[in-house]
Amino acid sequence: MIEFRDFSLTYPTGSRPALQKIDFIVPRGQICAVVGADGAGKSTLAGVISGVVPHMTGGETTGWARIGSRMLAETPASELVGEVALVMQNPFNQLSGARFSLREEIAFGLENLGVDRAEMVRRVEQVMADLRLTALADLSPYEMSGGQQQLLAIGSALVMRPAVMVLDEPTSQLDAVGAGVVFDALETLRTQGVTVILFEHRMERPARCVDRVLVLDEGRIAADGQPDDVLTDPRLADWGVAPLRYTTAARQAVERGLWEADRPLPVTLEAAAEGFDAALKGARTAGGL
Amino acid sequence: MDMSSHAVGDSPVHRLNPLTKLVFAVTVTVSAFAFTMIWWPPLLFCVAIVPMVIVSGTQRKFFPTFLALWVPVALTVCLMQGFFYPGAHRVVAGIGPLELKYEGLVFATQTALRVMVLMGGFFLLLLTTRPGTMMSAMTQRGMSPKTVYVVSAALQIAPALAGRAQGIMHAQQARGLSVTGLRGRVRALVPMAGPLILGALTDVGDRAVAMETRGFGTTRHCTYLTEVPDSTAQRAARAAMELCALTAVVANVLGVLR
Ligand SMILES: Nc1ncnc2c1ncn2[C@@H]1O[C@H](COP(=O)(O)OP(=O)(O)OP(=O)(O)O)[C@@H](O)[C@H]1O
Ligand SMILES: [Mg+2]
Repeated sequence: MIEFRDFSLTYPTGSRPALQKIDFIVPRGQICAVVGADGAGKSTLAGVISGVVPHMTGGETTGWARIGSRMLAETPASELVGEVALVMQNPFNQLSGARFSLREEIAFGLENLGVDRAEMVRRVEQVMADLRLTALADLSPYEMSGGQQQLLAIGSALVMRPAVMVLDEPTSQLDAVGAGVVFDALETLRTQGVTVILFEHRMERPARCVDRVLVLDEGRIAADGQPDDVLTDPRLADWGVAPLRYTTAARQAVERGLWEADRPLPVTLEAAAEGFDAALKGARTAGGL
Repeated sequence: MDMSSHAVGDSPVHRLNPLTKLVFAVTVTVSAFAFTMIWWPPLLFCVAIVPMVIVSGTQRKFFPTFLALWVPVALTVCLMQGFFYPGAHRVVAGIGPLELKYEGLVFATQTALRVMVLMGGFFLLLLTTRPGTMMSAMTQRGMSPKTVYVVSAALQIAPALAGRAQGIMHAQQARGLSVTGLRGRVRALVPMAGPLILGALTDVGDRAVAMETRGFGTTRHCTYLTEVPDSTAQRAARAAMELCALTAVVANVLGVLR
């Protein structure tokens, strides 16, 4: 369980807090998405959860935050290894720089933890298969595309089998297929009781696999709830978050009378298709078409 | 040198413990330098290094690259020593005020031939050893993980920086920076330095975070994915080669065969 209570953080160089009075609880095994505009504080929050901020960046905090029974104020990242895994925004900078193939790079964290070789091989092969990376196993991490490096960074985190996965815009450089592979892997984590905190810009694909959405706006939590509610909130654009394509399409359909008035706005492709289907059938029976 | 393209192949030489190949390279080098007969280094090269290259199946990569590296070195040594070897007096040829001298050429030839063995031995090691296996072997010999990290990072940073420099250069060219001609190229280096260094610095912060969250530097005992092959035969071979090298050194000190 992750719990934040009245937590604020100001960077040493910051004029205003990067996070302000953050309050939330994420139960074990939940997949929670955090959305917000550029500079809203997503990476900062990701850093706090993984023990990086303020331990490695500096900064003043008030309030408190904990993971399980560990207070984050007293727990630097090095003590959370194996428990919390962080996938940072820029995959290139996460390469160890000292491993010569994708397979060895994924194993790096396990080597540091002293996991025995047989177990290590098993886990590395499993992660490569899950992320469809097996064909690239012997490639140098430096010869890979941005998207491939992003998958590698995710694999390097997954292989640690953490209780909490923190992913900061993990699919920014991936195509639809690559992003699909990642979200499938996250859904598998849910079945294993892993808590996932996903920081994202584009919610079209993850909307259907997350349990909950938090909106960060200038360091504050502006909204917190079910994806269906939060992502269709009319204030979303004011918080700097682009509404989903499906929601926008349905909203325009409402204006034109092509969407049933009492049907909630969709956040997934499936819900949108169903809604348009219903509207079409309704129009047929009314003899409109 | 591009380390990542190395060691594609699966010959008996590739499968040797990197340490065995390292001891081999050191032994042939020490032997080459231990005796003064001019035919000795080329003989070593032919009977020790060439067969290994052939068994490894890398001859098509080995010989062209080796020659491209060695010939310029050999020529430079010959010119420098030929003209400037101290105490030489038998003039072979004169070019203006400069005189090419016999003793210098003899010394240069000997040095170049010895260097040929040195470069051949180590190049074979590089060409047939996956860097990861090399690093694992070093750690298993008791080198600290941090030292090994520094060595392997150094091996990777050059190609990585080169790639980034090229990226920055292309971006700046796209914004109209001219890089044609020598002066243009030199001038292009100046604006490139900024992003390159700044980029490298911000990376350091991020990378430190990544390394920390991946458990690097935790005091626990490290394990390795890459298995380093070894055998009694190889251990025996290494001991034998070490003995040969030692014998060569002793022979050299005692002045045998000089
Ligand atoms: N290490 C730092 N030192 C000082 N200020 C920082 C630091 N990191 C971030 N900030 C500031 O904190 C605020 C939040 O930044 P953060 O990186 O968390 O935003 P973000 O939501 O991740 O944005 P993006 O979508 O662009 O990644 C910004 O105003 C930023 O300038
Ligand atoms: Mg960010």
